[in-house]
Amino acid sequence: MSASLLKIDNLRTYFYSRSKRAFIRSVDGVSLAINRGETLGIVGESGCGKSVTALSVMGLITATPGVITGRIDFANGTLHRNLLDGLDQSVRLSEEEGRIMDVVKDSGAWQRQSDRLQRGVRGGEIAMIFQNPKASMNPFEPVGAQIVEAVRLHTEHTGKKEAEQRALHWLERVRIDSPRLRFHNHPYGLSGGMCQRAMIAMALAAEPSLLIADEPTTGLDATIQSKIVDLLAELKAEIGITTLLISHDMGVIGRLADRVAVMYGGRVVEEGGAQQVLAGGEGNHPYTRALIASIPGAAEVRQKSYLQAIEGDVLDTINIPAGCRFYERCNRVTEAVRERCADCEPQLFDAGSGQRVRCWLFAP
Amino acid sequence: MKRFRQRPGEISEFSDLPLWQKADTIDLLYVGYGLLIVSLVVASYLLGALQWLPHDPNALNLNLLLAGPGTPGHLLGTDFMGRDLLTRLVLGIQAYFLPGLMAVASALFGGTVLGVVAGYRGGGAGLIVTFLGNLIDSFPRLVLILLVIAAFKPDIWYIMAVIGISNVPAVASLVQGKIAMLREKNFIEAAVALGLPTRTIIAKHILWYNCKALLIIQATLGMAEAILMETSLSYLGFGVQEPTPSWGNMVQSGANYFLQGNLWPSTAPALAILFTILGFHLLGDGLNNLLEGKRGR
Amino acid sequence: MSESLLEVIDLKKHFRQRRGLFANLRGAEGVIPAVDGVSFYLKEQETVGLVGESGCGKTTVGKTILGLTGATSGKVIFAGHEITAMGGEPLRALRSSMQMIFQDLDAGLNPKMRIEQILREALTVHHRPSDAECARRIHELLDQVKLKSNKLSQYPHELSGGEKRRIGLARVLAVGPRFIVADEPTSALDVSIQAQVVNLLRDLQQDLALSFLFISHDLRIVELMSHKVAVMYLGKIVEMGVSERISHRPAHPYTRVLWTSLVEKQNREAQPAAASGAWGVFDFERPSAGCRFAPRCPVYQAAGRPAICTDAASEPPLRELSSGHYCACHFPLS
Repeated sequence: MSASLLKIDNLRTYFYSRSKRAFIRSVDGVSLAINRGETLGIVGESGCGKSVTALSVMGLITATPGVITGRIDFANGTLHRNLLDGLDQSVRLSEEEGRIMDVVKDSGAWQRQSDRLQRGVRGGEIAMIFQNPKASMNPFEPVGAQIVEAVRLHTEHTGKKEAEQRALHWLERVRIDSPRLRFHNHPYGLSGGMCQRAMIAMALAAEPSLLIADEPTTGLDATIQSKIVDLLAELKAEIGITTLLISHDMGVIGRLADRVAVMYGGRVVEEGGAQQVLAGGEGNHPYTRALIASIPGAAEVRQKSYLQAIEGDVLDTINIPAGCRFYERCNRVTEAVRERCADCEPQLFDAGSGQRVRCWLFAP
Repeated sequence: MKRFRQRPGEISEFSDLPLWQKADTIDLLYVGYGLLIVSLVVASYLLGALQWLPHDPNALNLNLLLAGPGTPGHLLGTDFMGRDLLTRLVLGIQAYFLPGLMAVASALFGGTVLGVVAGYRGGGAGLIVTFLGNLIDSFPRLVLILLVIAAFKPDIWYIMAVIGISNVPAVASLVQGKIAMLREKNFIEAAVALGLPTRTIIAKHILWYNCKALLIIQATLGMAEAILMETSLSYLGFGVQEPTPSWGNMVQSGANYFLQGNLWPSTAPALAILFTILGFHLLGDGLNNLLEGKRGR
Repeated sequence: MSESLLEVIDLKKHFRQRRGLFANLRGAEGVIPAVDGVSFYLKEQETVGLVGESGCGKTTVGKTILGLTGATSGKVIFAGHEITAMGGEPLRALRSSMQMIFQDLDAGLNPKMRIEQILREALTVHHRPSDAECARRIHELLDQVKLKSNKLSQYPHELSGGEKRRIGLARVLAVGPRFIVADEPTSALDVSIQAQVVNLLRDLQQDLALSFLFISHDLRIVELMSHKVAVMYLGKIVEMGVSERISHRPAHPYTRVLWTSLVEKQNREAQPAAASGAWGVFDFERPSAGCRFAPRCPVYQAAGRPAICTDAASEPPLRELSSGHYCACHFPLS
């Protein structure tokens, strides 16, 4: 696995509900690897932990207790670093019945060490674009100046004139219209779509080796969404930047991702090549299959037939069942596996050609 | 170091828990302390009404001026005219408790009415209320009070009326802001769309369910402020007038002897003020957290 | 026009803009025409879909129809009552037959009230049922929206998004409406829950003989739900007709763009550069004069920018192309 640019190993990020006196197990033992040059898509519904995973990588979790265990190995050129290195010093866990029930964490020490580890990585080696571009840009500074800042901070173009040229280059690169004009605009003067383009330009301007895109099209209008997806596809083809793409939109993931991980209830339930995972057939996890089936397709719409909904509700990650996390909503349980599904959580079983599925139906 | 611990066993829902379990211990302590202060005030009235006081508050004992605490018959000692400190301390709160309540009530009533008009009707009415509020806010309050005293007489009721009226804009803008927030969340529109009559929307949904906590905290803060205000005015000689005891004029008269080493006549009422104001503040804070479930989520 | 339940005639709603410092600096107009002359009708037990991007005024149309905001001009006639001329008590009483589902899942769910109190309140707004009758109806409502009765003692914040949507629906159904404006009822929900709610809405329409004005930006769901579809762009309806027609053989370039962008986003083989030349659009722009869509219109670009499209005197009217199919374009696609 030396090709991996980023390797997340058994990451756990918990939050705490004071009213229920219980942990919200947002990310509950996630392992993922992103290879150099590929786009890994993480898809899942709200609360599955996909965004929290990304924020954990960036060291941007502020709620407590936050990240509690795991390894996040980042390796690029001469830089090899575990972004959670030594952090287990400031956290103490105790388990009951194989489940973490008690966490003592020195958040201050954790944060200081995490910031030290992130130095030179966050913003430089790993850049992120967020769902709400307007909220993530400084409203009091022109767009151009913000991009120039990213260029001078993270690349060798530290001269003022040179950095401005680079910034303008990136604005042109993301096909913003009249880039010279936009350079001097404040974020409020831009439409949602243009703002997202500027945000992408800002992220790319740091020339990162990994780009994390968290719901880059959500909240934009349909026509603009397709333009942003076009842009991301184009950048992918031309720059070939390694990307971690997070979205709930199967369409976006299908268009851009090389490999896909499906998350449910804080866990990866399926991972593999985009084509195999998004096939949504026999060879997939029942959740993936049902999720794909529940999107109204052209045929269903034409016949005005019922949509294939998944019964029940998204797992709340507080009351996590002992068995498979999807068991209650699953419509593929056979009598042969029912008992195992209800009592024991499956691991990721190999389903051939690099695809892994967390389901007892795939047990060897 | 912070500790997080999951309750073992079944995780139950928020609403199933009794109040004392879903509340934070610290909030319960706050409210408990606040209620203790309130009950002491009530006790003061009871003692006064039943004549269960150790002494007559105005009885002079010229043989025993400025006696220290622990003097036989005078638990806290006497003041510069030989009057019993404990008795005067017990009665001191009464000088401004009722006027203070009046101030708070008028601020809440006026503020709520204006806030609802400004927030619910909006438009021109809103602008007028905001303008009036700014006008009153920009006028120095102490000057206003002195003007009223000059025009009428230095009476605690007049002073508290001024305090009440000058607090109206603050309450109004809070209520107005709350309504604006509810509007933002489509809360009011949804109620109108359902067909609820305007009076139900305002009285039940806006005021009772959503402004209750806000008004309670304003009331407790207002009470605390009334006490502080009287103390400052007493220092200028405009507060509750002798011989009626009030904590403010007790501090003031005691302060003359402070430098001579007689700490107690001014320190005792000052401590009473401190603990009472603290009580009202904590009561408001605690109740707000309990009612709004601020810490709970 | 047999038995139309709702008629909207040349409805206009202009918002006055608060002129802040920035607005003045940019020389912005003082008036925003959120809805600028919208006409359509809706028959008993029919669903009309209203599609468009954010800011096109579709939500404002819904709110104005229900009299939640006053109209600037034009008429809304619901079951023989002219809503736009009504107010106060008569309008309030009429709300027992027309209701709205808000996009916001929390709208109407007072966070301090238990679910049972919320439903009870809705039941007693227009009627005076006995306690026993009330309890019976509450359980019936929960049945209709397919929720278990153990939710009754909970508070809104304890519910999931799908459950909140169902309770919101039960609250609206409690008054017994004939007509419901559904404003983006699924957009705040997860995909798997979205499908549940769409199915539920269709069941309810059948069982309770409801009419819907279904507002959404999601073309697939609108097509699935609606008999007729109206496409809005910047305050105007640019195309209207039977839903199959609108989605499969659109006449207005904007409708076509909406559809292709849906497909393009998912199509792995799409050629980005080529696509933006053919059916792509530019980012949002305000119209200068003439056709509102001209600045973004691929047909306008392809036809060499004909003058008629930007002529201030000739904004294209909504013309009937074939029976029941209307389009506002100088160069409709065939």
